[in-house]
Amino acid sequence: MASIDLDKMLAKIKSSQWALADIDWDAPGAEKITAEQWPKLKAFMADLMWIEHVGARGFAAMAKKAPNDTLKQIYTYFHAEEQRHANAEMALMKRWGMLDGDRLPKPNKNLRLVIEWLDRYSDDMPLEVLGSVIPMLEIALDGALCTFLLETVDDPVCHQAFARINDDESRHLGVGFHVLEMQGHGDTYIKVLKAIGTLMDPRLILGIASYVPLLNRMRDNIIDMGLGEERLYAAMKKFERIGGRTADGRRNPWYQIISRHGRLVVNRDHRLYHAPVDAMVRLTNRIPDRVMPSRVPTWVKGITYKPVV
Amino acid sequence: MMSEQDKSQLTEEAVANKPTAKKATVKKAATRRKTVAKKAVVKKPARKKSVARRVDKPASVLIVGAGFAGLGMAIRLKQAGIEDFVILERANQVGGTWRDNTYPGAACDIPSNLYSYSFAPNPGWSRSFSGSDEILGYIHHLVSAFGLSRHIRFNQNVSALTFDEQAGLWLAAVEGGRTVQARAAVMAQGPLSNAAFPDIDGLDTFQGKKIHSARWDHDYDFSGQRVAVIGTGASAVQIVPELAGRVKSLKVFQRTPAWVIPRPDFKTPRWNQRLFAKVPASQKAVRKALFWTHETMALAVIWNSPLTRLAERLALGHLRNQVKDDWMRRQLTPDFRIGCKRVLVSNDYYPALQRDNAQLITWPIARLAPNGIRTSDGVEHQCDCIVFATGFDVPKAGTPFPIRGLQGRELGEEWATGAQAYKSINVAGYPNLFFTFGPNSGPGHNSALVYMESQLDYAVRAIGRILGDNLKMLDVKEDVQARYNRHIQKRLAKTNWNSGCKSWYLTEDGFNATMYPGFASQYQRQMADVNWADYQQIPASG
Ligand SMILES: Cc1cc2nc3c(=O)[nH]c(=O)nc-3n(C[C@H](O)[C@H](O)[C@H](O)COP(=O)(O)OP(=O)(O)OC[C@H]3O[C@@H](n4cnc5c(N)ncnc54)[C@H](O)[C@@H]3O)c2cc1C
Ligand SMILES: [Fe+2]
Ligand SMILES: [Fe+2]
Repeated sequence: MASIDLDKMLAKIKSSQWALADIDWDAPGAEKITAEQWPKLKAFMADLMWIEHVGARGFAAMAKKAPNDTLKQIYTYFHAEEQRHANAEMALMKRWGMLDGDRLPKPNKNLRLVIEWLDRYSDDMPLEVLGSVIPMLEIALDGALCTFLLETVDDPVCHQAFARINDDESRHLGVGFHVLEMQGHGDTYIKVLKAIGTLMDPRLILGIASYVPLLNRMRDNIIDMGLGEERLYAAMKKFERIGGRTADGRRNPWYQIISRHGRLVVNRDHRLYHAPVDAMVRLTNRIPDRVMPSRVPTWVKGITYKPVV
Repeated sequence: MMSEQDKSQLTEEAVANKPTAKKATVKKAATRRKTVAKKAVVKKPARKKSVARRVDKPASVLIVGAGFAGLGMAIRLKQAGIEDFVILERANQVGGTWRDNTYPGAACDIPSNLYSYSFAPNPGWSRSFSGSDEILGYIHHLVSAFGLSRHIRFNQNVSALTFDEQAGLWLAAVEGGRTVQARAAVMAQGPLSNAAFPDIDGLDTFQGKKIHSARWDHDYDFSGQRVAVIGTGASAVQIVPELAGRVKSLKVFQRTPAWVIPRPDFKTPRWNQRLFAKVPASQKAVRKALFWTHETMALAVIWNSPLTRLAERLALGHLRNQVKDDWMRRQLTPDFRIGCKRVLVSNDYYPALQRDNAQLITWPIARLAPNGIRTSDGVEHQCDCIVFATGFDVPKAGTPFPIRGLQGRELGEEWATGAQAYKSINVAGYPNLFFTFGPNSGPGHNSALVYMESQLDYAVRAIGRILGDNLKMLDVKEDVQARYNRHIQKRLAKTNWNSGCKSWYLTEDGFNATMYPGFASQYQRQMADVNWADYQQIPASG
């Protein structure tokens, strides 16, 4: 993979900025969403928007850790651009009448946990981890989700918005893989990340990226709820088994956690896919509302569908 | 020289400017400025005549700029018995920084007793950190107390300095065609005198009001307006708290958060002012104490020491105390070592940002649009007025105007990769030329005027030599200058300024041509003597 010139990339990013105001959100075409599509699309868009937003927070953490000033600036832009994607997607939801008034759609429980986790831990997470997770997430968004969206939705405004979003994403990916190379990751590693990204649901990637600390907090939650710890430990052991099996030969320990787990997950027939991930999802769903993070971090409130404020 | 001090002591009534309310102060300052400006215009014809007479006979010294530096130079020359000098000032009144920076809240952030000349103490400072109009008042009184008016020529924008090798004269080309000649020249044009707008796309497309902090528009009525402030440096932290209370909404656009420490600001009690007036020694003692307090700060600010951590903890504690929301705290937390950029002092900046009508915006600015500011999150922030607290155009590589020395050398070319001088004041190949605020003379922790005094006295000594021994050229030796710079760059490498952050102290390539890597007292010692062996001295023939 050819390395990119980060300074040129930064210049390119600066000259490629666009705004919500560049799109006519009231242009005809909204009616092309079918009644049958509508509810599914609504849930889908809400997730998508939140994933963008969570990706944005990831870039914010990366900006703090960037090894040089150019990269720091690039990540600062990417942070904003992901927010822009979330804003644009919210504007689409507004256009399609999917917003409850002006309010942000509610994130599902998994996302709420991820948000809480990001808020608490992402700034302390090594660049290595975020630098691996984010490109995977981007590929997943880019490939799977957006393609799906554009294939099923005929609204031209949606296509307009995603043309711009995808244009941004191509730069995110370019930088993402460049940084992996900078960190000394070989081709195989990058290919694996790409493969996982292509095959996996972004919600799952986020779930995996955050499962270690998430489990800790769930253990606390479960103890809080008065449930037996054993059941949780049984699930955790499976996680450990997964992580522990690929001990040697690789330079990056995170490789083992993320890629190994990821590889298992992408194999849909694999028994282990159901075990840990389903366990995690089931666990999350079991958490009653009252112990879910109640305080919403302020950065979550920054999203808006309004082109001008 | 010392005996001059008592004579020059300014009276309390003369300088003290006791504002009852801040708003009133700003208005008063504005009106006063206007009257001064008018006066200057009225006086102009009379001056023109005297200028015409002087062109023929070269002066002993020409000074570019009538700010603290130029006026201080003038005072010291006079005190040394050199009366034959002329100050060229492009504006129509004196004051430099303090004439130009009249934005609401403008004040010094070094205590006034230290941010003033020791040879012209002012017992009447009304606060520990005086406002811009009070400082300007002090400067105006320097002019009258030392009889500088007749030396100053206003509306003289110097566009080039050229050394006439044959005659041993500096020729200052003034915009409009006139040339002023002198045997020695002093650059006192100010390090921060050229207001700079940021390089933002669409800057000219914005249809609303644009105000630069250093070119304040006192006639603009902020009440009821939606206002944006771009920049969060030294000026912004002073402007934001003042504006927040007056406007409908205030959005502050930040690129990099700075370190902010609390500011021990207080009114000077009457008894204190009286004491300073009656017993000048008491004020001297206070100045000394302030000086040494700031000297210890060098340990925190200039080098990475345990005191640096302490200072960072103090600043973080200040932030934690004043800002409750943790995301906002994160946005306001610097990610470079304290001291790497200018440390800000403010008690009311953080609270102002948290007012209901205020908002801190950290998204990068993508461009200006006709109705507002578009940030990279895709949103347009509409506003009626944008305040640019974006600082100054500082020539770190190059000179503000062409300076030509021996054998056609051009200083801007020589400085293209970073400025350098000998002891910040002389440059080899440019004889009889003196820089105030020259390369590597910047203070990080102490009053600029402390450094300035050392430069002025050094220049007076050297100029005294040029005139007294009738030298055509006093030119620092190349190798002496080179040695000095190797040494200084070695020392700079170990400082916080060179620890990785981007700041106006550094060139694009990270070369530090701005700051002095040491204590002010070290600098004073370095400037205390002129080592004549460091200079080539060529007598005027005939
Ligand atoms: C808002 C602000 C706050 C500050 N606070 C402090 C502080 O608290 N403590 C501190 O130590 N320092 C502070 N400084 C730094 C301050 O600039 C210096 O302390 C000092 O005032 C500089 O004096 P000067 O005479 O060198 O330059 P200036 O005051 O800038 O004066 C230069 C003069 O030269 C004139 N001039 C420029 N170019 C030309 C030309 N080509 N031809 C003719 N005339 C020209 C200008 O019009 C101006 O009048 C502050 C600066 C700013 C902007
Ligand atoms: Fe995105
Ligand atoms: Fe992205």
